[in-house]
Amino acid sequence: MTGITIPRLSSTRDIPLFISFRESMPDVQRIDLLDPAEVARFGGIEIVARGVVEGFLSGIHRSPLRGFSVEFTEHRAYQPGDELRYLDWKILARADRLFVKQFEQETNLRAMILVDASRSMAWSGAPSRLTKRAYADRLAAALALILLRQRDATGLITFDEVVREVVPARVKSGQWARLVRGLVDTPDGQGTVAEAALVRLTSLLARRGLVVLVSDLLFDRELALTALRYLRHRGHQVIVLHLMDPGEAELSGPPEVRYRDPESAASVVVRPRELARAYQATVRREIDAWRMACRRHGIAYYHVLTDMPFGMALRLLA
Amino acid sequence: MTFLHPLALVGLAAAAIPALLHLLERRVPPEAEFPPLRYLSETERQNARRLKLRHLLLLMLRTALIVLIVLAAARPLFPTQSSSGSLHAPTALAVILDNSPSSGVVVDGRPALERLKGAARGSLTRAAASDRLWLVLADGVARAGTREALLATVDSVSVSARRLDLTAAVGAATRLVDAEPLPAREVHVVSDLQRTALGTGRAEVPRGVRVLALAPPSQAPANRGVGAARVTAGAAAIDIVGAPGAVAEHGAASVTLRVRGREVGRALAVPGSTVGIALPSLGPGWWMGEVVLDADELRADDHRWLVWRVAPPARLAASPSPGAGPFVAAALAVLEDAQRVHRGGTEVTIGDRPGAGTLVSVVVPPSERALIGQANRALAARGGRWRFAAAGTPGPIAGPVLPTIAGLQVTRRYRLEAERDGRRGTGDDTMVLATVNGEPWLVRDGRVLLLGSRLDTGWTALPAAPAFVPFIDALVNRVARGEAPISEVEGAPRVEFLTRGADTVGATVYGLDPRESDLTPASPALVHDVLGAELLDEAAFVAARFAGAGRRDGSGLLLMLALLSALVELAVATRTR
Repeated sequence: MTGITIPRLSSTRDIPLFISFRESMPDVQRIDLLDPAEVARFGGIEIVARGVVEGFLSGIHRSPLRGFSVEFTEHRAYQPGDELRYLDWKILARADRLFVKQFEQETNLRAMILVDASRSMAWSGAPSRLTKRAYADRLAAALALILLRQRDATGLITFDEVVREVVPARVKSGQWARLVRGLVDTPDGQGTVAEAALVRLTSLLARRGLVVLVSDLLFDRELALTALRYLRHRGHQVIVLHLMDPGEAELSGPPEVRYRDPESAASVVVRPRELARAYQATVRREIDAWRMACRRHGIAYYHVLTDMPFGMALRLLA
Repeated sequence: MTFLHPLALVGLAAAAIPALLHLLERRVPPEAEFPPLRYLSETERQNARRLKLRHLLLLMLRTALIVLIVLAAARPLFPTQSSSGSLHAPTALAVILDNSPSSGVVVDGRPALERLKGAARGSLTRAAASDRLWLVLADGVARAGTREALLATVDSVSVSARRLDLTAAVGAATRLVDAEPLPAREVHVVSDLQRTALGTGRAEVPRGVRVLALAPPSQAPANRGVGAARVTAGAAAIDIVGAPGAVAEHGAASVTLRVRGREVGRALAVPGSTVGIALPSLGPGWWMGEVVLDADELRADDHRWLVWRVAPPARLAASPSPGAGPFVAAALAVLEDAQRVHRGGTEVTIGDRPGAGTLVSVVVPPSERALIGQANRALAARGGRWRFAAAGTPGPIAGPVLPTIAGLQVTRRYRLEAERDGRRGTGDDTMVLATVNGEPWLVRDGRVLLLGSRLDTGWTALPAAPAFVPFIDALVNRVARGEAPISEVEGAPRVEFLTRGADTVGATVYGLDPRESDLTPASPALVHDVLGAELLDEAAFVAARFAGAGRRDGSGLLLMLALLSALVELAVATRTR
């Protein structure tokens, strides 16, 4: 896997009004590496996702997601950063020129993106940040666009207490628009019962494929893991993107406050300054617990803060 | 334990502030959504015990901090055995600073008074605001005041011309401090403790009053001074006083007599002796001389003023009046032999009625009661306003003009009364010179001297007393001329003349008390017996001051504890989050 070169931006104010990413902003590099909230101001999900993908793909040199088998298609000139295993040694020996071999997937990947649309996702720790749901929508749209450009069949499931939207995995044109519409049409839900959505998913994924769960994981871990384990048992590649607002990672606020769970009637009165350090430790433990549990079952787990640039989040998947 | 500022303890109510704040903080807190509530609940559940302990510890530390600060502000005083560097319980303190003339003696090049002032300053400096203070100087007056005021007084004190009776001063000071309702009462005697300064009797020291006396230097300088000087029979008699050891140390001292600035005689004298220096022939009038002694360590007593009157003898009638009685005639005969009076003049007559044509008449009552009216009419005819009245009660003679006859008994007398509405005359020429039982007995009424008793042993003991002839001498030579006696008064050496109109009629000579010249210190036993005082050297005196009521200020320790509490509170508040 080649490394991704991340250009340095002098300032986000250097970016003009977003119209067309590559053509109109040749000098504005890598919009996928900007602050997500800044990027979100450029337009709707489609525009943002497209811009992110443009930027993201310009920084990498191969498909971020590989199929199960590949077939040689053509040569191209070697560029610094290309993996040497793809170097065509015969041409090098014959012509003393560096070419790498490029392959095309023989079989398309079937990917399903699961987006948590529960009430807890519609929360932001600061007005300047995207809500977890907004971040998840844009990230899911970008991811779907990448997959579709690789001619991978990509579908979508949104869920809260129940499955809200289901867009079966397809690779035909217009699929990305349907996916985006599915995201947009899903309102903020109430509680979160992930296992129900995951069970429903098993019935929708007849062939082995890729499952990407985008959620804040504020539900029962064991029940969710049971479902994810089942998918893994069925041969699916499972990726969990654990979204978290920076305000959830660190406790702060007034001297005393009553915090209320948006998904239930539960509340608790705390003094943030007293509990800040212990709360951080609890969050770290929880993240570690998810990571260890996923690793144990062969599930890829990534912790994503909502102030992380979309490109960085996509890079985690590469 | 006592408190210097007990009112500050009211601030202890502030100790309730942390608890009140804790209760007041139990208001309805603001609400906010927080999705990861499950993490928060888990965190709180795991830390509930620690948080309770932390809250309790912080509450206790903050309460203790306020209590410690308030207690420190109240300045707690703890009893202590040591007096150095500590405070003391409220004390009534009288400092007796003996600045009598003897304190002017120079010892090792330094006036003794400076050492005494230093000790007095030390006592007053250690006084606190809660103490009641007095300062007694040689004048015997107890000055009450603040520490600063009395320190200023001590700084301004100089050697006084007054002698201090230490026994009386200590007695008065102990009564003064004993009347104060304070926990401790002390009298500090800062004196050279002359043996002669301890008066008669002993000071009654009330129970609970400590009298501390600063011990004098072990060896007092041998001193000599002019104790007294008077003129008799054409010569100056000078008493030399001082410590007995002065003779061995210095030998005989040279005494010089100066009259109007000119030396007229010189003699050698030792303490305890009286030397005479002949006066030159001087004309009539008032003369002033100065006796000067060789300088020694105490200069104040090395000179003394001397005043005397040179006047011609009084001229009496050629033959004494039979009405005066035999004792007067005999006394006049003695005076005539001594050339104190001359016969054949008209200056003074003595009889039972005013002499016609004489300048001054000394009138005694007639021997017969029936002649009283006649005598009164004669007095009235002379222009007198005083007359003989009814018989008076017996009693002793009193009066400053003729001190030699004071106390002699009068057994029979007539009361002397002014004629006009009981007025005894208010003019310059009227003066009551002696009294018996508070009633006039000898009156000067213009040119008449009126006696209430005949000068006879049947009337008074005067004729039989040795003072009779000097009395007659003074009567005809001085009193008849309207002159007052030359008096000697304690004070800064000087002379003050008494005048009447253009005439000088008397003089007052001021000088030091001769007892000040004897610098021999009293023995410790005598000091203890007479003054009831503990005699202490300088180090012991410093240590013993306020030692009976030593208190250490605990506010510093409390402030340290408060600081420690604040640091612990800060650590608990920041490290236990």
